[in-house]
Formats: sequence, structure tokens, C-alpha cells
Amino acid sequence: MSTKKNVLFGTATVAALAVALTACGGSGGTSASGGTWDKDAVVNIGSLYEPQNLDNTAGGGQGVTEALNGNVYEGLFRLTDDGEVEKLLAQDYETGADGLTYTFTLRDGVKFHSGKELTSEDVKYSLEKVLADDSQSARKGNLEVVKDIATPDKRTVKITLSKKSISFVYNLSYVWIINSQAKDLKTTEDGTGPYTLNKWTRGSALSLNRFADYWGDAAANKQVVFHYYKDASALNNALLTNAVDVVTSEQSPDALEQFKSNGAYKVNDGNSTTKLLLAFNDKAKPFTDVKVRQAVSAAIDDKKLLESVWGGYGKQIGSMVPPTDPWYEDLTDVNAYDVTKAKKLLSEAGYAKGFSFTLDTPNYDPHPTAATFIKSQLAKVGITVKINTITPDEWYTKVYKNHDFSATLQEHVNDRDLVWYGNPDFYWGYDNPQVTRWVEQAEEASSTAGQTELLKKVNRQTAEDAASDWLYLYPQIVVANDKLSGYPLNGLNSQFFAYDIKKKG
Amino acid sequence: MTGTDLFTPTKRRSRRSVTLVVGCVLAGLIALLAAVSLFWLPYDADDTSGGRLAGPGDGHLLGTDKLGRDLFTQVMTGSRIAVEAGLGSVLIAAAVGITLGVLAAYAQGWIDDTLSAFLDILIAFPTLLLAMLIVAARSATLGSAVLAIGLAQSAVVARLVRILVKRVLAQDYITAARTSGTSWPRTVLSHVLPNIWPTLVVNLALQFGLAVLAEAGLSYLGLGAPPPNASWGRMLQEAQATFTTAPAGALAPGILLVLLVIGVNLIADGLRDTLDPATRRRRA
Repeated sequence: MSTKKNVLFGTATVAALAVALTACGGSGGTSASGGTWDKDAVVNIGSLYEPQNLDNTAGGGQGVTEALNGNVYEGLFRLTDDGEVEKLLAQDYETGADGLTYTFTLRDGVKFHSGKELTSEDVKYSLEKVLADDSQSARKGNLEVVKDIATPDKRTVKITLSKKSISFVYNLSYVWIINSQAKDLKTTEDGTGPYTLNKWTRGSALSLNRFADYWGDAAANKQVVFHYYKDASALNNALLTNAVDVVTSEQSPDALEQFKSNGAYKVNDGNSTTKLLLAFNDKAKPFTDVKVRQAVSAAIDDKKLLESVWGGYGKQIGSMVPPTDPWYEDLTDVNAYDVTKAKKLLSEAGYAKGFSFTLDTPNYDPHPTAATFIKSQLAKVGITVKINTITPDEWYTKVYKNHDFSATLQEHVNDRDLVWYGNPDFYWGYDNPQVTRWVEQAEEASSTAGQTELLKKVNRQTAEDAASDWLYLYPQIVVANDKLSGYPLNGLNSQFFAYDIKKKG
Repeated sequence: MTGTDLFTPTKRRSRRSVTLVVGCVLAGLIALLAAVSLFWLPYDADDTSGGRLAGPGDGHLLGTDKLGRDLFTQVMTGSRIAVEAGLGSVLIAAAVGITLGVLAAYAQGWIDDTLSAFLDILIAFPTLLLAMLIVAARSATLGSAVLAIGLAQSAVVARLVRILVKRVLAQDYITAARTSGTSWPRTVLSHVLPNIWPTLVVNLALQFGLAVLAEAGLSYLGLGAPPPNASWGRMLQEAQATFTTAPAGALAPGILLVLLVIGVNLIADGLRDTLDPATRRRRA
């Protein structure tokens, strides 16, 4: 739920975490609290993220994922709430002994919305679409290990990789299976999901109708309508006036009081994968020095910052890994808030009198607030922060592309994005050959256990090196009318599966 | 009826002085806050020791913001920034505007036409767009915002000055000065400017109020003084989301903004009555 139009990570959200069947505890409730629910209800969903177009390989933004992923389009696999992979359109699959060949058997009797039957050709087409030169899919890079796609028969797809990739099946969960004969995917659709596109009124709403010929269990409601708002207050007002039944993700804790004190609404506090980072340029002085980075991390009271921005919501994190990633470990004790230690580390690094640096700060919330807080915290250990506010475009060019910065603030929305610390050319310039090797080995591991073990090492090492300062993990707050149940709680970044939502009559 | 007419001058004078006095009190209050903020603030600007969105009281006159910073401290700093923005913009507007206006009035023919066309374009140019261009070229600072506002206002000032100067230049005493061989810079300084001064000062005072509003607007949009500077516009923007739970954060800067602008406008009104030779003559 990268909030605003964040150039890089906004696009990345398209690929962002899946999920949200909410199998986990305290789920929005598939049981309609014993009451009767309307099988033909219309569910109105309020969101801030209207799609730019309906194609997730053409830069449609996070709104595309929110409205269409799992609802209109399905992949061979989907991710469960625990971040584990579940078969969806793939009935079964086998991995060759060399770990390079994957044979998928497709589910039988799956139909596209246009009526055509799903065949292996469609899978080949869909994968090639993601890998095409003009594809803007954020997972394109991860899937480039695909060397060959063969379709021996209508229900079998055989994929050969150029090198081992333990995340391959996981990455496939981001690939929508699309009818190979479909045209104009930017304004129409042809997927296999439980809903078909009814009508998209640009600038205001997008509605989906239950698909009668769906291969699986039919959706628990007849129609869902995504209503798009430009600002959060208008969205909250819509919920108060019953114009919408549920808000996919609240962006500030302060409007929540009015819903918490009102019995007609339910405020749900779920998990997200969005982390707020104080990212150092590890290749620019003085942040080349591990001790300086550790000192800065220890000088900032993350708990107070989280409290300031999110009231009682959100979580503290000690590394890049959110609790939903398989290699999560609680590392909040590493470089924890300790001003005395920060001062000691600074003097050991030769900066007993402090230093000053420029903090490139994206101009939208929560970055300016966080920057102000960091400036005041670091002043206590003698470090002077100059806040330079920049637009998302400037951030992309100056920081992400040209690496022309000392330190910056940025929200990173993706799950499993720890592996970026293995790339020494990434914008933050963290270059630890051991970590790079671990990341490579993890990707070529022959089991997920092996992968997890190696990435846990990476997690700990980057945390100890204070590769960046991970300030906090965003909450995922879904507010809904009490009549609703079965909505996703951990909608994580941008997915919002609507097919289990039940509405009391 | 006649009675009323008889009393008119006195009434006028008293209303005028009331306008001026009230204006001075309001604007002076803000100016005082700004002046005090240079030497003393209740809390350090960076002090985040307060609670989150605490209400007024408990050591914080107006309460605190999200980060626990004292609101009164921010409002004081904000008044300094507002006064700086107003003065800075008006100085730029006056310097550029008077120079261009006098040039345009003196230069006949195509130079006058070109300058006038240029001023018309500048007036039609939205201040916001100008500010965005300047911020893109420099960076988002109070200086950039002041420059943008000052330049935008200089066009208004220049057009006014041009008309006023042209009118004065047609007067007989100017012809007299010319024929007696007075150089034109001297004519401008000793004959033209003093004659347009009353109208100009009133206009500049009005521009001051507009500049304060414009700076708040730009800061609200993130194009003004960068954080952690507590510009009133930025405070309003930050307090917007929490208005229902902690209204003081938006009310305090909002009310002060209104007071300052009203104060300055009243001063302008009062000045018009006192300074304008036309009204003075009428009274005499």
C-alpha cells in the first residue's frame, strides 16, 4: 500500500504481495456471525487507487492488482496469507531432478470469460507477455530465467530454466493467465476468475459481475463495485454515508476514531509488507562506515516515530523482512534505540563532534513528518540533518537512477524484497560480497528450507551492518460496515480478493 | 440632514483612525510574536518531548502536534516566516515593479509596448506555476517561494506605477522641470516618485497581505519553506488529517493568518485615507 504515486515502488506494487484469503487468526470472518447473508448482494468497495489501465504488464498501477488480481484474473498459483504458494490454475506440477525443468498440468474445465477453454497455449502466451520487451511487469526480471516454454498437449506446460530458481513457482503467482486470443487488454479483460468486468467508468468506478461459468466455488456476492476517491476524507465520508461498505486501506489513524466509537463499523488491524526506510547511500561518506550507520540507527527512537505517525497501529521491525516472509526473525534488538551507544559508535568512527548530511525526502506523507523527527533525534547526538524535499519523479532520477544522495526516506512495499541487498548496484549501494553470494545461493537452493536458512543469514547480516535503517512496518487497516464479513484483512499491498465477501441482507 | 453633513469630516477622521489603529494592533501582535521568536521560544523547535496531539494545557499553551512538538512554538516561528515572506515579496515586487514601471512610462513607442505586453503576460501567469518552475530550478525553500511571489506581484506593481507615472508626466510642473534642464533621474526622484508614493504605498500594503496568503498556499502544497520550518501553510497541511481529533493544530495558524491579513488590509485602508493627497485636499 505504497500510498502515493511512488514511481518505482508504485509500479512494483503491481506485483506486490498476493494473498489475503485471511486464513489466519481473527480473520474478517467467513462466518456471517450466524446471520443470513444475501447471495445476490452488491458490495461497494472504496479505494484511493484507480487503475491507469487494466493491463498489469502495461503500468496500470496498484489499482489494477487491487481490483483484478484473483477477482478477474488468476495465475497458475496464488499466495496464501502466510506467504506460501497454493495451486490455482495448476492442478499439479513436477520438478525435474536437475531443478531446471518444471512440468505443469492445468486444471480441467476452466473457461475464460469469453467462453474459450483454458489451454497450455494461453499459459505460454501469458508468460511471454510478461517477458516481452515492452512489458512493465515488476516481476519480469525474476522470470527472465525462463529459457523455453513447451506445450506438449493442451493441458501440459513444460518450462525450462537457464539456471535454478527456487522462487520460480512463487514468481508465477504474479503471472495472470490471459486468453491468448484476447484483444485490447487495457480497457477490457479475458481472464478465468470468479468475476467478469461489467463496467469501468474512468475517474469514478469499476464494477465486476459474478461469472456464471466459474470453475470453482461461485463468488458470495453478485456484484462488486470499486469506487475511486481522490482523497482520504472523501473516502471516509463515503463510508459514513454508506456509499461504500468497506475501505481497502486507511492511510492515517486519526480518522479511525469516528469508526471505532460507532458500532456500525469494524476497524481491522492487519499485516502489511510496507516498510519505511531511512536508506543510507552505503557508497558515500560517512555512511561507508558501518559504525556511522549503526550509530544513526541507534540514535532514532523508532517506537516514538511509529506512535507519532500511526497512533497505536503498525509494528516495529529490525530489518527489511516483514513477519509474513518465510525468513522473518525478530531483529528489533539489533541496533535498538540507545543514545549512549550511538554517541560511543560515533566517536569510535571519528565523528565525536558529529557531522551533517542532506536527507532527500519525498514530499508526501509520511516522509516529511519522519524527516522532521529524524532531524530532531539526530541533533541529540550532534548530527545535523538538512531536509531536502523532492518530488517522486526527482527521487526516481536523483536517488534511484543516479545514486546522487547521502541518505533518503522511502517506503518499500514489496514482500520478499530482502534480496535487493544482494545487488551491489541497487540504489542504496550496499556491497557485501558474502551477502551477494548468499542471495545467489539461496535462489539456486534445492529446497525452500535451504533458501530460508540462507536468507535468514542475509537478514541478520544486513541488520547487523545497518545496511539501511528500517524505521517501521505499516499497518494494514481495513474499515468495513458491520454488515460485511469475509473481506481480506491482510490485503497486504494492494490485493483485495472480493469473492468471499458476504453482506447481510 | 445638514447636521450629519456637518459632522462628516470628524466622523471620517475618527473612522479612519480606528481602521488604522485596529490594523496596527492586529498586525503588530503578529509582528511582536515574530520579533519575540527571534530571541525566545517556549520550546526548542526540535523538541519532541510532548505527547501525541496533546490538547492545550499541561505546559503547552496550544497543545502539541503528531510528533509531540509544541504548537505555540510553531505558531511563533510561523509568524516570523509569514512576516519574512510578506516583507521579502513586497521588497522584490517594489524594486522590480517600480523600475519596470518607470522605464515603461518614460520610454515611449515600442519599448513601452513590449514592456506592457510582458507585464500582461506576467500577470496572466499563475503564481503557482511560477513557483513550481522556480522550485524546479532551485529547490523548495522559503527563498524560492518569496522570489516567485515577488516576481508575480512585481507585474501588478509595475503596471500601476506605469499608469501613475504617465499621469504625473503630463503635469505642467514636470514640463517646467524639464524645460529648466532637470535630468530625468532627478525628475523621477524629486518630482515623480513623491507624487505617486501615497497610492503606491497603499498598494504595497495590500500586496503584503496577498503575499502572506500566497506563501501559506505554496507551503501548504509543499513548495514553500521545507520541514521542519513551521510555516503556517505547512502547519495547516499537517493538521488537516487530524482536524476532528485535534483542531488546535489547524485553528491556531488559520486564525493568525486571518488576523495578519486583515490587519495589513486595515492598515492599507487607513493609509489610503491619510496619505492620498486627493482626499486630503477634499478635507481641507
